[in-house]
Amino acid sequence: MRRLGLAVLALIAGAGCARRTTTAPGAAGRRPAAAPSYELRLGRQVFQHYCQTCHGETGAGDGFNAFNLDPRPRDLSDPAFQKKKTDAELMDAVRRGGAGVGLSSMMPPWGRTLSQAEVDEVVRYVRSLRKH
Amino acid sequence: MPLKRLFALTSVAFLGVLAISPAKNALRPYRKIQNRFRELGVARATSARQAREYAQKPVAIRQFWLPAFENRVDRCTTCHLGVADPLMKGAPQPLSLHPWTPHTPEAFERFGCTSCHSGQGLATTQSEAHATAPDAGPPMLPTEYVEAGCGRCHAAPTLPGAPMLSRGRTLMAQSGCFACHAVRGRETFRSPAPPLATLPVKTGAEWVRRWLKNPRAVDPNATMPNFQLAARDVDDLANYLFGLDVPESLARKIQAAGEEPPGDAASGKKLFAESRCISCHTVEGKGQGSAPELSKIASAASRGWLLAFLRDPHAFNPRTPMPQYHLADTESRDLVAYMEGEFRDFDAPKDILEPLHVNRTLAENGEKLFRRYGCFSCHAAPEGGRLTEKFGPDLDGIGDKRAASLDFGRRADLPRTLTSWLAAKIGSPRSFAKDLKMPSYGFGPEETRAVVTALLAMGAEPVPEAYRVVPAASPAPIPAAGAGRLIDRYRCLSCHQIGQQGGDISTALLTFEGSKVQRDWLVDYLVLSFTIRPTLTERMPILRMPRQEAAELADMIESLFVDPRIPDDPFAGRAATDADPVEGERLYVTLGCRGCHIVGSSGGYYGPPLNGSGTRLRPGWTFTWLKGPQRWRSDVRCPDYGLTDRDALRLTAYLSTLHEKRGAETTGSR
Repeated sequence: MRRLGLAVLALIAGAGCARRTTTAPGAAGRRPAAAPSYELRLGRQVFQHYCQTCHGETGAGDGFNAFNLDPRPRDLSDPAFQKKKTDAELMDAVRRGGAGVGLSSMMPPWGRTLSQAEVDEVVRYVRSLRKH
Repeated sequence: MPLKRLFALTSVAFLGVLAISPAKNALRPYRKIQNRFRELGVARATSARQAREYAQKPVAIRQFWLPAFENRVDRCTTCHLGVADPLMKGAPQPLSLHPWTPHTPEAFERFGCTSCHSGQGLATTQSEAHATAPDAGPPMLPTEYVEAGCGRCHAAPTLPGAPMLSRGRTLMAQSGCFACHAVRGRETFRSPAPPLATLPVKTGAEWVRRWLKNPRAVDPNATMPNFQLAARDVDDLANYLFGLDVPESLARKIQAAGEEPPGDAASGKKLFAESRCISCHTVEGKGQGSAPELSKIASAASRGWLLAFLRDPHAFNPRTPMPQYHLADTESRDLVAYMEGEFRDFDAPKDILEPLHVNRTLAENGEKLFRRYGCFSCHAAPEGGRLTEKFGPDLDGIGDKRAASLDFGRRADLPRTLTSWLAAKIGSPRSFAKDLKMPSYGFGPEETRAVVTALLAMGAEPVPEAYRVVPAASPAPIPAAGAGRLIDRYRCLSCHQIGQQGGDISTALLTFEGSKVQRDWLVDYLVLSFTIRPTLTERMPILRMPRQEAAELADMIESLFVDPRIPDDPFAGRAATDADPVEGERLYVTLGCRGCHIVGSSGGYYGPPLNGSGTRLRPGWTFTWLKGPQRWRSDVRCPDYGLTDRDALRLTAYLSTLHEKRGAETTGSR
């Protein structure tokens, strides 16, 4: 009987352990050194390829080609700018370019070059560039 | 009486046993999850009808069945109910909408879940399906490695939707992993590492010792890994290497070159800049970096060796990407004089280039070490021996290894998973056991993750034919003789691509170069290659090609590297007003082309300057390019403006009027 009791205890303890391990993945997601998510990696790839030369690595508008442009490229990391613009507006500017949304034609229209998915990804990545 | 009691007891027990099955079913965890999904659906529904539909969803096992993909059955959607449901965006797991990927949400039915995520598709509880226990079947891939799933079907070295996998595969090729390890599809890989036969007359004992101890401390661009050799082993190997027989013809050339009179360093400095050595090499870190750092080269190689190598690098290493420049003997002397003056390790001991007096016993030990560490996998075996099999274990199937089958050796600290084993194995291979041979590559954390992703993509069995995406390998149409030999001599394919072949140092594909540029311009350009894109570090070197060779090469390019989609005369049969250069110039301004291109003296630095494009480009190319740049190179940054034929013609007409005197152009860009 004692042995049975021990077994039951062990089972309960085991179940407790099992429950604890199932919560582990969530905790792992908060690790500081974790890689950026797959979606952000895709967005970063698009940004680095098409946008970075003018908008700069951190989106601050200081890429190497920025200094040849008048007006200068937008600082995408500016929190005020990020707050003002909706995702839809950002996507529209990416797709139709500066001229399409009443701004400088120095920002080209990317709607025929990037797929809808790529535009989504790059806007998501631009959101992650917001300075805090 | 006891019989009756016994009967009653067994009946109760029997009923109890009968009840187990329905009770077990009623208690299945997914029932609770499906109920939660129903409630969430009702709460989030946008219409009464939709809410009713959610409420009426039956509790049942859901699955994808993929008869064409190894007969997989993926029941993941039994719990992950919202994967294809836009209303479930941001819902708590397991109910959330699946993020967009190149295959989802369109193709869930074709790919299921485990083809990308791995894990146990048939299971219906979380712990069994994700296979988190160490002795379970192949577990789910941690999401940071999910791109390994892409690599199971896609064999291409780089893949647009999988940045991490692409990086890992590139790193593996650069690091020479396939020289020691067999991998499907990489059977023909040969390391470009140099043969070692001329080493005794190239460098000194001290330099070799330093290199063997840690190649990257000597040259940050080194692709040779650190073998973590003990000082005694380093000495043995040095003795072995200095005892190698130098091929007589090369030895004679090196000795003769060493006795030549010194050159003029000032002229060498100019030549060094013109030759654009840093398009591949670096000088104090500045440059492309696929070839050795040069800032200490004169303390690594003797004068005679440098001279002889510069004059005919292919005689030293048939697989080197280095072109054979057409330098006059005095010019190569000037270049080496410049390098001897500037590119020295001023902290190095004076005797760094002193040869070694070989000790036979140590050399014999060294030869054993040379075999033991598999050095011959990358450096051709000096005695001409042929490799019959790979030195390291096959890597096919490494992504399917069970954690329980792995030898963790001394690493009791590691979690018992394949991913942590792989990451540690790449990071510090010798930490598992003392006598392992795998060297250390010094990858950073991101690089390690990328390589682990590439390794996890290597399944034991290839995926079914219908799912395999293998890039077509069509060899470039390069003739073996005639001008084809010039392509080899000048190693055009080290930087440029022709068809599927070639390197990616240059952004200019040569596949349709004949339809793109004008022949006369090309001849001039090959003779004196000025810079088309001044912002790039990697620029076309001035190869000192004789005009006659340049003409031969240009003729071949004009006849072979053409594309029928590019017309000779895009203006043929169109109204004269369509070819109006004034209208074209107006378009050039309003479209914002000057954001990236320079015309005259103003504009951006991103695209190539367009001054002289009337002399350089064929109008047919300019027109078809403007109609859709990505047709010619899918990753090109020039956006597709969706121009009408008319506008594209006008721009073409404008760009064709831009001529420039060659003299001015060349002096301006050098």
